Amino acid sequence: MSRPILVTGLGTVGAYGCGAESLRRALAAADPLSHLSEVDRSAGYHRAHGARRAFLLGSAGLGEWLAPGEARRMSPPSKLAVAAARMALRCAGLAGGDGEGEAMAPTAVTLATAFGPSSFSEALLRQLLCEGPESTSPFYFTESVANAPAAQIALLCRARGPNVTVCQREAGQLIALGQAAAGVAAGKVPRALAGAVEEMTPLLHALLDRFGALAAPSPAGAEMARPFDRRRDGFVAAEGSTLVVLEPEEIALARGARPLARVLVWGSAFDPTAPRTGWGSGGGRLARALLRSLERAGLAIGAVDRIVSGASGAVEGDRLEAGFLRAAWGARPLPPVLVPKATVGEYGGGFLGAAVLAAAGAPFGPTPGFTEPDPGLGIVPHDGAVLPPPSTVLVTSLAAGGAAAWLVLGAPRP
Amino acid sequence: MSGLGWGVAPLWEGLRTGRSAIGPFHRFDHRLHRTHVAAEAGDAPEDLARTPGWDRLSVADRFAVAAAVEAVRQAGLPLPFDEDLAAEVGVFFGSSTGGMWEAEGFFRDFLIQRRRARLRRLASHQVNAPGDALARHLGVTGPVSTVSSACASGALALGAALEALRSGAVEVALAGGADSLCQLTYAGFNALRSVDESPCRPFRAGRAGLSIGEGSAVLVLEPLQRLLDRGAAPLALLAGAGASCDAHHMTAPDPSGTGAAAALEAALRDAGLDPAEIDFVNAHGTGTPLNDAAEWSALQRVFGARAAGLPVTATKALVGHLLGSAGAIEAVATVLCLRHGELHPVPSGEPAETETETLPVALVLDRPLPLPMARAAVSTSLAFGGSNAALVFSRWPAP
Repeated sequence: MSRPILVTGLGTVGAYGCGAESLRRALAAADPLSHLSEVDRSAGYHRAHGARRAFLLGSAGLGEWLAPGEARRMSPPSKLAVAAARMALRCAGLAGGDGEGEAMAPTAVTLATAFGPSSFSEALLRQLLCEGPESTSPFYFTESVANAPAAQIALLCRARGPNVTVCQREAGQLIALGQAAAGVAAGKVPRALAGAVEEMTPLLHALLDRFGALAAPSPAGAEMARPFDRRRDGFVAAEGSTLVVLEPEEIALARGARPLARVLVWGSAFDPTAPRTGWGSGGGRLARALLRSLERAGLAIGAVDRIVSGASGAVEGDRLEAGFLRAAWGARPLPPVLVPKATVGEYGGGFLGAAVLAAAGAPFGPTPGFTEPDPGLGIVPHDGAVLPPPSTVLVTSLAAGGAAAWLVLGAPRP
Repeated sequence: MSGLGWGVAPLWEGLRTGRSAIGPFHRFDHRLHRTHVAAEAGDAPEDLARTPGWDRLSVADRFAVAAAVEAVRQAGLPLPFDEDLAAEVGVFFGSSTGGMWEAEGFFRDFLIQRRRARLRRLASHQVNAPGDALARHLGVTGPVSTVSSACASGALALGAALEALRSGAVEVALAGGADSLCQLTYAGFNALRSVDESPCRPFRAGRAGLSIGEGSAVLVLEPLQRLLDRGAAPLALLAGAGASCDAHHMTAPDPSGTGAAAALEAALRDAGLDPAEIDFVNAHGTGTPLNDAAEWSALQRVFGARAAGLPVTATKALVGHLLGSAGAIEAVATVLCLRHGELHPVPSGEPAETETETLPVALVLDRPLPLPMARAAVSTSLAFGGSNAALVFSRWPAP
């Protein structure tokens, strides 16, 4: 970053509840089974012995953040994103979450989504293909576009800065935060809202199951993500939204904001060995790209004292992640590796929120589901021991299809 | 590539002669749809269709790969990339629907005859698939990111590429977009009653909506000095980019043009240019009554009294609306106009009998307008959800 950028607000909604404090409690408790929900499998498209559960919102109330008259014009992900944006703004001490007004006008919005508004896209396709093209609903169409949630944030928060939606699967949320922070650092806008949103419909869940991406239940119990574990068999899908407020340090501190983290570096790369729906074998090259981006920022890999890994329990994804991290560190021992997707699942931004909380020094419980190290990976994630607050946190996310992204977050200055 | 053909040469030939590619199309059975015209790209040339793995790519992926290969070859960069170059190249792409056309085939089977539904038809359905496909095809190992901000995606992707080049994150950027015709967008825009039953007529009397197109465009962007050092010359300079959001309505533009003007002004600031230094505009110009009127308001805000005399073209009148790729192909058209010193026309078409008035835009009609001394131009993209983007290109060498 050409100048220090601070994370001054965090809003999040997921199966763990509403707000950063709910996420903080979930990460400390490390008990993902307590917020797993049964997915509607009545469409009959899941594999017979495939995934049954996901991190769903259920009846999580957004009433405090979204008036019924606003919500009726929105797809599910638009509702989640607007609620998370308002939480983030309130957390940052900007507006009251609903006041916004002209002061918010120059705010940029950069939001990532892997699949877009799935339920409305499905509804539109059903109308189109079953009832005919003239039956398609203009409302569904308007809210089926990938940028609908970002546009709704702009509308309701009066954010008139650049409005960008990033779609890059699992890497999208870090790319979104990185691009937004770079825009703020370059002086394009005085602040940005950045983050991710996802909804998990029964059909999307079934399709991920059919692609073999999801963890399956075992005779012993419900599915678990098991990142870096020898028995891992996929990730657990999630829905939700997380947004952060990004501001230049001098502006944030001048108005008395209490920062959660500093954005020090961001970067991304691509692994062309990856198939369209899976992970490749280019961990070494990705590690060299990471090291180059750190070098450009004048940061040594040895300065990183915490890793928030994007490992999700995906068989090949975790293999690539392990190879990437081990290649980056070489002969050095890795710092403690936190793996929040074991608790919050894949998609929906819980991972991004966890990364910010990690930089802020939040305690993490033991990595759920990890009991048998995979000797081929050589990574043992965090065991729940009390850790000192970190100073420099590497956050990684390697996407199916080949994209990879990383952030380096610094602890807020005392 | 677009309805005017595969490659830059047929694109320019079609643009400068004002030949519209909008007409009957065959991608899908549209008898039950409200309208029956689009700008469909024809079949790929045989040499491209023999590319290994071509059959496994979605239509949008094929567009992206073909455009990228042509752009890289024209830039004189070696193919395949060696390892060092591959690490310095980034891909910045825009797409609105990715492989939706193929996904519709899956869903049709899934809903009607489930046993026939094949998952492989979904392998490229995501909007990041075209950008990933070209990165995979060229062996790119630098950053790859896809913007999906509806009709502003392509222009926003070029803006992201410009930032990445300036920051030193990449040495070379492949920036553009790709989208293919599909029923979802065709029916969706028709549901909004935003599609003209005839080829679209941006800014013209009787304009009644957009025409959907398909295709891809990719620009190779490099820092000027790097380009000169390797003995090459630029086609034009991407001088600046700007973006904004109306925050007004999900589908309707702010009629005051304030948001679009903010994007234009930001792009001019970024380029270090005064509005007086802009010699023509490649307008978003969809042909919808509200959008064109709002864009005219924006041009008046930015260019003041000059607006009425400032030459304007609207590439969509010839290739249709390429959605997530629109900003990219219009950037290519703008570069070609600067390079050739003439502004491509739009067809004047038949006189229309509707209440929509012609806007007082200095639209170039039927024949190209010679502009041999044109110094710089802007290209605008105004999207669903109020997302606006503008790009400023300047001529190289300066006239």
